Amino acid sequence: MALKKSRKKNTTQSQNEKRDCNQIRNELLSDDASSRRWAARDIVNCPGATHMLLDQLNNEEEPSVRQVILSSLTQLGDSEAVEGLVNCLRSEDASLRNEAIEAMKQLPEEVAPIMATLLNDPDPDVRIFAVNILESLCHDDVEQWLVSVIRDDEHVNVCATAVDLLGEVGSEISIEALTGLKDRFTEEPYIQFAADLAMKRISGD
Amino acid sequence: MSDHNISEHDFDKFAEFFYRKTGIKFEPSKRYFVDKRLTERMRETGSDSFRHYFTTLRFQASGEELQRLTNLLTVNETYFMREDYQFRCLIDSMLPDVISRHDPRKPIRIWCIPSSSGEEPYSIAMYLLEEWEGINDWDVELIASDIDTQILATAQKGIYSERSIRNVPASWKRRYFKSVPGGHQVSEDIRDAVEFTRINLSEPADVRSMRNIDIIFCRNLLIYFDDKSRKVAAEYMYEAMSPGGYICLGHTESMGRISPLYRVKKFPAAIVYQRPLEAK
Ligand SMILES: C[S@@+](CC[C@H](N)C(=O)[O-])C[C@H]1O[C@@H](n2cnc3c(N)ncnc32)[C@H](O)[C@@H]1O
Repeated sequence: MALKKSRKKNTTQSQNEKRDCNQIRNELLSDDASSRRWAARDIVNCPGATHMLLDQLNNEEEPSVRQVILSSLTQLGDSEAVEGLVNCLRSEDASLRNEAIEAMKQLPEEVAPIMATLLNDPDPDVRIFAVNILESLCHDDVEQWLVSVIRDDEHVNVCATAVDLLGEVGSEISIEALTGLKDRFTEEPYIQFAADLAMKRISGD
Repeated sequence: MSDHNISEHDFDKFAEFFYRKTGIKFEPSKRYFVDKRLTERMRETGSDSFRHYFTTLRFQASGEELQRLTNLLTVNETYFMREDYQFRCLIDSMLPDVISRHDPRKPIRIWCIPSSSGEEPYSIAMYLLEEWEGINDWDVELIASDIDTQILATAQKGIYSERSIRNVPASWKRRYFKSVPGGHQVSEDIRDAVEFTRINLSEPADVRSMRNIDIIFCRNLLIYFDDKSRKVAAEYMYEAMSPGGYICLGHTESMGRISPLYRVKKFPAAIVYQRPLEAK
């Protein structure tokens, strides 16, 4: 036995053949996970791709296929994709929610216009997820959004999530809002502690 | 009159195009590096403006100019025995695990992407021959790929400077290298053992042909990508591997930040990543 050169493969039919969109759509429903993954990649050039991908995302049980679907949705990045990801934030399925959060972090330009809406969602859990997205959203307004949360949000857990993050990304312009936050939640020891810590970090810089 | 100036807008347009083609992200801080090479190619091709050159780049059917430019814009730095604790890990931990469930009639497949000028796959070949007893019982296929066609040609010639081979043990140097004009050439049997192919890890059509790989070395490539293209590349490699296969990344790269598809495996010599066995 030995080191052997791999035989030069003749490009197989499956590599070369141009599959049409109907075929790709069918393969998105195939029993074989690898076929579903390839279909989820190839479908981005077909009409109605976002819609099909979102449908499949909600039914798909194999995590590796879900990852590829999410990559394709981030690649498409149209408003329908963003809306579909937002809907995942309301899902009961915790892994789907987290996956949607991760995907939205990759779409700063597309998520920015709806960030204010997300941060004002009636469901405090969705507002917390929106703050989680801000955690690594590469966008100039992140600090401003966080300041608006700690200034206006009624819910202590939403504010607590935002203040933790401000400790990492905040600057002098957050100080006033942090002081205001302490005044709003005088009975909440965690907020007092976290706001003090954030201010210390900011002025320590 | 020709105008070889590249405006900020031109740079952004080019960077976006090149990113979509290769996954490589050039930040504005890399302008000097990029502009210099773009200007050089504009001059060589007789383009009278950036616009003209950019049109060739995008629409030329053969893709030849894009390949030329890509060859100039890649960073090919590498050397023999680089981060060789991973080769130790290959011998001591990954291969024993892989062969424990491998069909003995089929070869073990190892893929170096990117291989650059060949030092990495040749180092692995030497490690296998020198350090792995299993080589007496198993066939191993070594596939080495890069996006850069010029560097692949260099790899196939296998001639290296003193500096590049400085970490090779003296006895291996005697066994596997011979002096030739211009440096030290890797012996023919080692060169013959490695299959070099051009593959762009950001191009689905290129990656689709890779199957049943047991171990991937993908070191010092993803550092040039952004988060999105890293994740997609990790997903292509997942596709190329057999369940239970392993990936080694460069020491500054970590799969945890790239994709949740893989399991972290802490072996004595190195931390590597595994495609889960039960995955479909
Ligand atoms: C710094 S070298 C790494 C060589 C070797 N793996 C090591 O760690 O020493 C990076 C290589 O990545 C190649 N490369 C860049 N983009 C690529 C892509 N999209 N697909 C394949 N190779 C790529 C470059 O041509 C270059 O040779």
